[in-house]
Amino acid sequence: MTEPFILFTVAGTTYALRSRDVAHVEMVDQVTAVPNAAHFVDGVVFSRGQVVPALNLRARFGFDKAPTDLSTRLLVVRDGARTVGLVVDAAREFVPIDPAAIQPPSAALTGLSGRYLEGVANIGDRLILVLNLAATLTFEDPVLEPHT
Amino acid sequence: MADDAFLAGFMDDYFVECEEHLATIRRLLLVLDAGVGQPAVQPQALDELFRAFHSIKGISGMVELREAEMLAHHMESYLRALRARETQLSDAGIDALIRGVDALEQTIAARRDATPPPAVDLVVRELAAVAPEAGGPRAAAPAAAASAALASWRVTFVPSAALLARGVNVDMVRARLRDTGTIVDATPLVTPEGVAFEFMFAGDLAPETAAAWAGDGIRVEAVAEPGPVPFDGAAASPMDGSARVATSHVVRVDLGKLDDVMRIIGDMVISRARLDGALAAAEAALPPAIWRQIQENTQTIERQLRDLREGVMRLRLVPVGEIFRRMPFVVRDLARETGTQVRLELRGQETEIDKFLIERMMDPVLHLVRNAVSHGFEPAAVRAAAGKPAEGTLTLAAASVGESVVLEIADDGRGIDAAAVAAKARALGFPLPEGPLDAATLLDLLCAPGFSTRDETDRASGRGVGMGVVKTTVEELNGSMTLQTAPGEGTRFVIELPLTLSITDALIAHVGERVFAVPQGAVREVIEIAPAAIRRIEGHEIAPFRGGTLPIVRLGRVFGVPERAGRALHVFVVGAGVDAVGIAVDRIAGQREIVVRGMADALIKVDGVSGATDLGDGRVVLILDLPALARRGRRLAPGASVAPRPGVEAR
Repeated sequence: MTEPFILFTVAGTTYALRSRDVAHVEMVDQVTAVPNAAHFVDGVVFSRGQVVPALNLRARFGFDKAPTDLSTRLLVVRDGARTVGLVVDAAREFVPIDPAAIQPPSAALTGLSGRYLEGVANIGDRLILVLNLAATLTFEDPVLEPHT
Repeated sequence: MADDAFLAGFMDDYFVECEEHLATIRRLLLVLDAGVGQPAVQPQALDELFRAFHSIKGISGMVELREAEMLAHHMESYLRALRARETQLSDAGIDALIRGVDALEQTIAARRDATPPPAVDLVVRELAAVAPEAGGPRAAAPAAAASAALASWRVTFVPSAALLARGVNVDMVRARLRDTGTIVDATPLVTPEGVAFEFMFAGDLAPETAAAWAGDGIRVEAVAEPGPVPFDGAAASPMDGSARVATSHVVRVDLGKLDDVMRIIGDMVISRARLDGALAAAEAALPPAIWRQIQENTQTIERQLRDLREGVMRLRLVPVGEIFRRMPFVVRDLARETGTQVRLELRGQETEIDKFLIERMMDPVLHLVRNAVSHGFEPAAVRAAAGKPAEGTLTLAAASVGESVVLEIADDGRGIDAAAVAAKARALGFPLPEGPLDAATLLDLLCAPGFSTRDETDRASGRGVGMGVVKTTVEELNGSMTLQTAPGEGTRFVIELPLTLSITDALIAHVGERVFAVPQGAVREVIEIAPAAIRRIEGHEIAPFRGGTLPIVRLGRVFGVPERAGRALHVFVVGAGVDAVGIAVDRIAGQREIVVRGMADALIKVDGVSGATDLGDGRVVLILDLPALARRGRRLAPGASVAPRPGVEAR
């Protein structure tokens, strides 16, 4: 039993997400910055009439942000009731992956992105990191805004 | 008939219809509740209830939701006995009915949400116990009665063009049924695919006949018990008549379709704004007379769009009573469980609000009500000692205020212990300022994820949603919530919601390269201030204003956006008197009608931004939350008292 995954790259590494979690893929343009949002949030965009946060995966994984170019893509993903756009360097391919072939990530293999991983899969000679969507989107440190 | 799309459409219709019947039932149960122990209770209410259960039974049978059919059947039986005065309405009877209705509602909701249905055996037994002629094996398994001498059948006919071409129409079906037996009841059903007819039919129907009819779009189904008793003529006919009149004048519209229309209107508002922009740019290029004529036309379109929008919005409004209606039962049950004496006061049930908002607010209001009943009231003895009536009062009120609806959930109970909340918050590691909590911080804490003033999860209030969800829901709906509480005096939650999904007038503000939209409702005044007039005191800025001073919040500094230097600032004045705060921007550039879209995702929820809009170029423009920015200004203002303003203080 295989499942379709969408492959994308962030800072030279190939990642995968289940394509059923990806609503659609867009070109990135006209991101409106949201003041005082987390550093990995580029801002907001309209996606099909909805206001969607644009989460920069480079920044999320601890890399420097890169300027937007023609290959930059916005992966609009759904997690429960949430819709979030992931800014990635490129997204081009769909591949079928057998979920059973996804191995737990080894700590040595991955850097900061390790905590956002579901596992690792080998497709041919390529190593692909399968993203844990919920962990990626979780806003870990909800700080209560003091009112006084 | 087996077509999935058809079935899905039909199920939608089923849920809507059940909802309506359940609403009627809940209203009538309250009427009955008041008449317990009296020899003959409100015959009209009994008739109406009986009919509602009967309808649910019928349609539940059609969609093969057997548990619902069975529950409705038992309640119908009990009501039949009451109508025939075979038994008297007792407390046990009312309780059984209320629990039966709860179970019925849960059963239907479980089918709608595709979740496992609740266990209904206990409730069924309870109902069987109160109904005198029920209780035997027939009641437990109504299907067993189907082999009665003169069997009852539910016959459904779905007309189609193909059948019509063969001469099969509803009159012919009716004639066939009459030839074979008696039509007890006939109901036209409106489905998204068209009209269908349901007949309750008593007669001797051979399986071959049924099979032959199947080819003509006629579906035959054995009914559990002898057909429904037709209502006694005089009492029933006026009701039937009015029901029929109502049906022909009321259109039931899927909310999604209204949403589509609303979205198109929103798009048109944006298109018109674009046209306006293009027209402004073309002013120099066009002969003045022609330019004016075009401009007048776009203004007419603007006015007409406004009317159209209001018209569609009115279609979506329903009385707030829909939320309130079920509350008496919740309060009654919970009060009994917790041994609290509570009187529920409902006010402003006729206040109208958008249907979508009402559906989203149902669970949050339910949560606040449960919280109030479970934790809000002191024991009767404590109340008496404090000179309060032993019975607590829970008030649910609604009122329209301009373009908003205000919902209030208030109790006269013990109030929230702000010190205890603060202590717990500090223990949990929430960063808190020293000193007493103000009401807004208290509310934020209560709504913070992982925070609850009770250590154990309370059964009643822990169900479904927590305070966090209440807050998120209100914010997603572009509303706001405030809390007032005082020890010994009670707790009041005030939720302000927009009347409908908003299109609103906004001022467009620029700071450096950034553009923001500012809802006009929050702006008291717009003034211009020369930079030289702004003075700095203790690191905060103030400007002279009306003989006093006005604390100034520079938006660019709050948001870390470079400002344009040198020229006069445009300032939005928010609040009045000593509460007035000025929010300064580089420039205010005109007024626009904007379509408000929510921004509720935690990633982009920041203080001072309430939503987003589109000014016609496809780019997101943030909508400022002026009240939040003003709160910041009041906090920063020199000499502003550290203590919160009276009236909202959580002491």
